[in-house]
Amino acid sequence: MKRSLFGRLDAGAINVGIALTALRTNLMRSILTTLGVMIGVFAVTLAVAVGSGAQVSVMDSINALGSNMAIVFPQPDAEGGRSSFDRGRLTLRDARAIERSIPGVSAIAPQLRASVQMVAGGRRASTTAIGATSGFGAVAGVGAESGRFISEADVRSGARVAVLGPTVARKLFGTFDPVGEAFRIDRVPFTVIGVLETKGSSFGNDNDDTIVVPITAARARFSNSLPGPDDLHVLYVGFDDGTDLEESKREMTRLMRERYSVERRDVQPFTIRTTAEFIEESSQVTAIFQSVLVAIASISLLVGGIGIMNIMLVSVTERTREIGLRMALGAKRRDIRNQFLVEAAILCVIGGAIGIVLAFAAAAAFSVYADFPAQVGAGVATGAIVFSAVIGILFGGYPALRASRLSPIEALRSE
Amino acid sequence: MTRPLVEARDLAKDYRMGEETVHALRGVSCTVESGEFVAIMGASGSGKSTFMNMVGCLDVPSGGALLVDGVETGAMDSDALAELRNRTIGFVFQQFNLLARTSALDNVAVPLIYAGVRPGERQARARAKLEAMGLGDRLDHSPAKLSGGQQQRVAIARALVTEPKILLADEPTGALDSATSDEIMRIFQQRNDEGITIVLVTHEADIARYARRRILFRDGRIIDDELVSDRLIAV
Ligand SMILES: Nc1ncnc2c1ncn2[C@@H]1O[C@H](COP(=O)(O)OP(=O)(O)OP(=O)(O)O)[C@@H](O)[C@H]1O
Ligand SMILES: [Mg+2]
Repeated sequence: MKRSLFGRLDAGAINVGIALTALRTNLMRSILTTLGVMIGVFAVTLAVAVGSGAQVSVMDSINALGSNMAIVFPQPDAEGGRSSFDRGRLTLRDARAIERSIPGVSAIAPQLRASVQMVAGGRRASTTAIGATSGFGAVAGVGAESGRFISEADVRSGARVAVLGPTVARKLFGTFDPVGEAFRIDRVPFTVIGVLETKGSSFGNDNDDTIVVPITAARARFSNSLPGPDDLHVLYVGFDDGTDLEESKREMTRLMRERYSVERRDVQPFTIRTTAEFIEESSQVTAIFQSVLVAIASISLLVGGIGIMNIMLVSVTERTREIGLRMALGAKRRDIRNQFLVEAAILCVIGGAIGIVLAFAAAAAFSVYADFPAQVGAGVATGAIVFSAVIGILFGGYPALRASRLSPIEALRSE
Repeated sequence: MTRPLVEARDLAKDYRMGEETVHALRGVSCTVESGEFVAIMGASGSGKSTFMNMVGCLDVPSGGALLVDGVETGAMDSDALAELRNRTIGFVFQQFNLLARTSALDNVAVPLIYAGVRPGERQARARAKLEAMGLGDRLDHSPAKLSGGQQQRVAIARALVTEPKILLADEPTGALDSATSDEIMRIFQQRNDEGITIVLVTHEADIARYARRRILFRDGRIIDDELVSDRLIAV
């Protein structure tokens, strides 16, 4: 006889009733078993949330670099082999050559970097100053939140103007808008012309703890250890959308090797990194991070599942006589099996639901205290609920199957 | 042409206990026709319960054949046997076997769950059976709040709720005093008069006298099978 949908719902409701009666009868035992699942689901849910939060935040910080970009700096590339160079060179002429002859380049942003001390009123702060051109904003994907960014005229004249990162602005000027204010960098008077947009932090670095000044001003006013008046610390190269960054990197490498007449294959006096590489590397790292987290958390869920199995085996043993009776009264194997599956599933779903709620609360707390948010959402919640039901079926399945396979008479005769 | 409700042909059951084999049934042949009221008697260990368990399809024979309601049970799978127990057979046990912490009404309704009867109808039919047993005012009582006789009446209501053809009772009065036993036997006689077939195991000759036919077991065999000449009618 095939059972109708109604019949199935009815049978399900009956099994829930039976299960609740049984679970109430051994309330303490049921609560402890549920606790095991709760902790397991809590751990896994939180691990997934933290892991995917990390992933999203890494992607965000890469996107913050500008989406299609390469970074060139005159340090020997460890990946390219061992090097006898302490340091290569990178000049404005190299930058121009790259802009001219590499296809797909949309803009370049040559930079100097310097550690600087700042004073405004009575307040002091130190940070890394970026000496940049007006094109820096577009390539690096930064802009002024208030005031303006440095202009071509600023660069041409070597104007002593600075755009402050929000962190620096807060340190030096507190909460009021510093645009137009004067301050000193390494004793040289500068004027604030803008405040950068907030970029948050990535990899533990505060991206807002920086200032941008015209590259010409940086060269004239800040000390640097560069070998020539044309040398750069870093060059950002922006590319048009759809450019093959791998190919561009190969061409830039060839160009640079040619310009510095590098012949030995194993020597590479400069390093080129593309955003594509960052994405690749970071997503690998975060994927491993997430897998490790989830694997550790899964152990506690496994322990919870074993707890379920243990208790269900006890429950089946205790109620063998009831099983025999139900069989005598007409219960089929699947009726008995479903009865115990439902009991296990209820333990898991209650534990799972509480675990999810706690995990969401913990994720919210985590997001407040950590510098990246734990990502929770409908997906994680659904996954966790399905997961705990699966745990119930997996670990409750064996005891339930065992119960259903009992011989009616042996079950009836048991004590 | 009516076929027998139960037909046992050379039924055998062996239990293996390590090295030894216990021959609980050594070739039992008998038929029970529709409407009969059979008392099975015999010494302890003579195989009465073993025979009842075979007839009730709770256990499988080691040899011979058993037909219930005309169907050979040896060929049936566990689902088919469950359905047969549910529709055709009602069980009454010595220890009542009611579900603890479950009301009389819900206890009686259990077989209807497995028969696929809808909830409303389940309640109605269980209530009607309990009322017929004189327990209309005890519907919500759990077994712990009922006397032995009342518990056994709940169990009989449960056995009858699916309107089975045959009622199997293994020492149904074994746990009851004699007054209560007579009351239970009166219920059995009434149901039998209404047409239901009853097979009952008992140790007590007085209880067996309520039946119409008496079968005597010894050592796994039927040694006597006769009509009850001095039948008691309960009042
Ligand atoms: N599960 C079993 N395993 C082994 N031997 C069994 C089993 N069940 C019954 N027996 C043996 O089979 C024989 C018949 O047992 P059965 O229970 O049928 O006797 P009975 O006539 O019902 O006795 P009583 O009047 O004491 O209930 C006995 O010798 C008993 O020990
Ligand atoms: Mg017996």
